[in-house]
Amino acid sequence: MERRVRDWLAAAEMRESLEISARRIGMIILALLFAAIFLKVSGYPPSAVVRGIFLSLTRDAAGTVRWATPLILSGLAVCVTYKAEIYNLGVDGQLYMGAAAATVVALLLPDADPFLSRVAVFAAAMAAGMLFALIPALLKVYLDTNEVVSTMLLNFIAALYVDYLVTGPLRDTSTGANLNASPIIPRNTWLPRISYLAPSSANVGFYIALIAAVAIAFMFKKTTLGYEIKIVGANSRFASYGGIRPQRTTLQVMGLSGAIAGIVGAVEVSAVQHRLLAGFNPDFGFDGIVVSLLANHNPAGVVFSGLFFGALKNGGANMERITDVPSAVTKIVMAIIILTISARAALPKLRQMLKRSARGDNA
Amino acid sequence: MSGRAEHRTGAAYAVEMLNIRKEYPGVVAADDASLYVKEGEIHGLIGENGAGKSTMMNILYGMIKPDRGIIRLYGRDVVIGSPRMAIEHGISMVHQHFMLMPNMSVLRNVILGRTPVRRGLIDVAAAKTAIGAIMEEYDLHVDLDSNVYQLSVGEKQRVEIIKALYRESRILILDEPTAVLTPSETNKLMEVLTKLKNQGRSLIFITHKLREVMALTDNITVMRRGVVTGRTPKSETEISALSTVMVGREVDLEIPRKPYRPGECVLDARGISALNSRGLPALRDVSLTVNRSEIVGIAGVEGNGQSELVEVIAGMLSPTSGSVIYKGTDITGTSVRYRRENGISHVPEDRLRRGVAKTCTVSDNLILNRYYQKGYAKMGIIDNRKLRDLSERLREEFAIKTPDTGYKLSTLSGGNMQKVVFARETQMIPDLLIAAQPSRGIDIGAMEYIHGQIIAVRDSGRSVLLVSAELDEILSLSDRILVMYEGRIVARLPRGETDEREIGEYMMGARSKDGEACA
Ligand SMILES: Nc1ncnc2c1ncn2[C@@H]1O[C@H](COP(=O)(O)OP(=O)(O)OP(=O)(O)O)[C@@H](O)[C@H]1O
Ligand SMILES: [Mg+2]
Repeated sequence: MERRVRDWLAAAEMRESLEISARRIGMIILALLFAAIFLKVSGYPPSAVVRGIFLSLTRDAAGTVRWATPLILSGLAVCVTYKAEIYNLGVDGQLYMGAAAATVVALLLPDADPFLSRVAVFAAAMAAGMLFALIPALLKVYLDTNEVVSTMLLNFIAALYVDYLVTGPLRDTSTGANLNASPIIPRNTWLPRISYLAPSSANVGFYIALIAAVAIAFMFKKTTLGYEIKIVGANSRFASYGGIRPQRTTLQVMGLSGAIAGIVGAVEVSAVQHRLLAGFNPDFGFDGIVVSLLANHNPAGVVFSGLFFGALKNGGANMERITDVPSAVTKIVMAIIILTISARAALPKLRQMLKRSARGDNA
Repeated sequence: MSGRAEHRTGAAYAVEMLNIRKEYPGVVAADDASLYVKEGEIHGLIGENGAGKSTMMNILYGMIKPDRGIIRLYGRDVVIGSPRMAIEHGISMVHQHFMLMPNMSVLRNVILGRTPVRRGLIDVAAAKTAIGAIMEEYDLHVDLDSNVYQLSVGEKQRVEIIKALYRESRILILDEPTAVLTPSETNKLMEVLTKLKNQGRSLIFITHKLREVMALTDNITVMRRGVVTGRTPKSETEISALSTVMVGREVDLEIPRKPYRPGECVLDARGISALNSRGLPALRDVSLTVNRSEIVGIAGVEGNGQSELVEVIAGMLSPTSGSVIYKGTDITGTSVRYRRENGISHVPEDRLRRGVAKTCTVSDNLILNRYYQKGYAKMGIIDNRKLRDLSERLREEFAIKTPDTGYKLSTLSGGNMQKVVFARETQMIPDLLIAAQPSRGIDIGAMEYIHGQIIAVRDSGRSVLLVSAELDEILSLSDRILVMYEGRIVARLPRGETDEREIGEYMMGARSKDGEACA
């Protein structure tokens, strides 16, 4: 009897996830259709978008991996806090801070042991991301500030701070080139690229992202912290009644989220750019929200939706390369696709949230 | 509004639910169940926790689709696909857990779905007049402009009833309306319901309190495990017979206990004062002790400081003055977890808001005070198998009705949620069990069990602080009775030397005895 019930539950779960996948694939096709129509009315070949994306799934899969890496990591950073009903919209800022810290440490370690220096670079980036995420977390815990607003505002501070660094104290003056960037970091601190995906900048960061996804999934399923996050997110009054301190959990998840965001910064600096570059971040953090949303905030799902968004981003780049579609139009096309897909994924969630807030605490 | 008794020939029944079936995976919530409710009667629907009472009513109200079965209203077959359709058919429901919009005014809640409009705007004046007339007629008063979250439970329920009357419902469903009411509120409600019945409306009344069934209803339907096991006119039955049909065996709430021999002092609360969540004084210099091998019962109308007292002792509210001494140490400033680790357990009065996480699984709810402990977790990594075994064991031991603890808690019936809370809080064998309204919403079979557990805690040399609005419960369980009124203890009475009437007077503030310090 018990077995039967459990089998039924498993089957229902399976059916549900198949259904969701089918619906999502339908949305993707619809999104491509919208994009094609847009291209057509703008006077470009409508097949461009399909061709671009097709390329990024086949011959240029390497490019997809390159873009998927930061997207998966940002998606993970978002999903970690989401389960506790905390919304970290500050992944962009945290990854900027991570990148800055990574650069500074890398520049300080010109001849250190390659393994140790890379560890130091990543540790510094994670610490910086974490500390920067703890600011809004502390504001929330002690002053009851809404983290949605504070994390978003801190993004501007971080971006401007990086601009200041690369135009001021960290600016590369050696080459005379007029570039707002730091000097190239020493080779011993570079994170290796994946050799069989050369010449793309796909790098070992992809493996780090996969490991992080497994670690987060493990954290949710098998650790006391994961349980606490679930309980705090479900009913924080219940949590504190049981002796869990929701404030502490808030600090923990925000710290963890910031650390993951910091990894994104470290990967971009040490494997892709090899320097701190003004505006190197094309809003990975905001994309991460969509990535996480599309995966229903499930860490394993984040890997797949991250790959999917990687293919999209790369497809855009390909589209520009193989056709004469200008980059502004490409950006619009991508926005259309993302909006179509995420609207479908987000709508039921939104409705749920509205209902919940309307009904209050079931009082 | 005048009485609107509609008599149609050949339609003696207002509601007929015929051969209703509703199956959930692993549970048949309604199994060929039929219910007949006459016009102008109060129909009692009783049965143990998880019997399917709420399910049947949710089907009638259009919130759940039955797998099969027929619903007939006044002799006509109908399909009720949604609450909206139910309302159009003249059905209203006061839910076991209220369904009001907390951030809207009372007025808005009442007129929701039937808003009087004038020139495209809500006609507030007309609404107020109409509702005012209802409140006058039935002597049901609530401030229309306050927001619902500011109301007490009793007031919220009044709003639900006013809403039903405003919609001119002919059929009114009340799912455990008295579970959260004070005795005087209950009496008041019964008067209103009788008046509605005399106007020719039909009422379906669910309760676990058989005295209310005997006092109020005309006919009774008993359910058990989804099946209707009995139907009887009230006049042909009595409480003991009902309880036997309900539970399937005889129930004895006179639980034997060891003679009263209190041991050393476990809890010593000294001069506690505290503020409530609105910042107003809720406790004024309250002192009490609880010793080993005794049950101290706190009686009082809800909202006289009992909740705050419990929160101070459990560690969720800091007192403004006074101290809590537990087993000889001052624990006033310590955390909830510290207190739990040291043997304080707590069954909270408001199980939905504080006692459970509805969206989590039954198992997640059962392991709250265990998940991090040695034997279940090592260095932050939990042993899901062991925790699962633990929750399955608790499910069996406490007869929690669910096929599997992997189910969401929200799929449990109200009484079974309470069993989850009680199971979690007593399995640790606490030194001090704080039990606030422990039997709220549970059937008499389960009540017998829970009372037995409370007495077992006492008999094993541990202590219990019982808070209850049910005088029966206080009188039958407590070794000493304290009565609270307006944040003070106004009487301390030993077991057997007092009665309902005397306690009632203290509860209403009509009498007061100096709260002398106890040994
Ligand atoms: N959504 C659901 N999924 C699975 N099982 C459910 C669901 N809703 C109800 N049940 C089960 O159906 C049975 C009947 O529940 P119901 O709420 O009707 O009981 P009840 O008679 O109202 O009990 P109580 O007196 O405790 O309120 C219970 O065993 C419950 O666990
Ligand atoms: Mg019920």
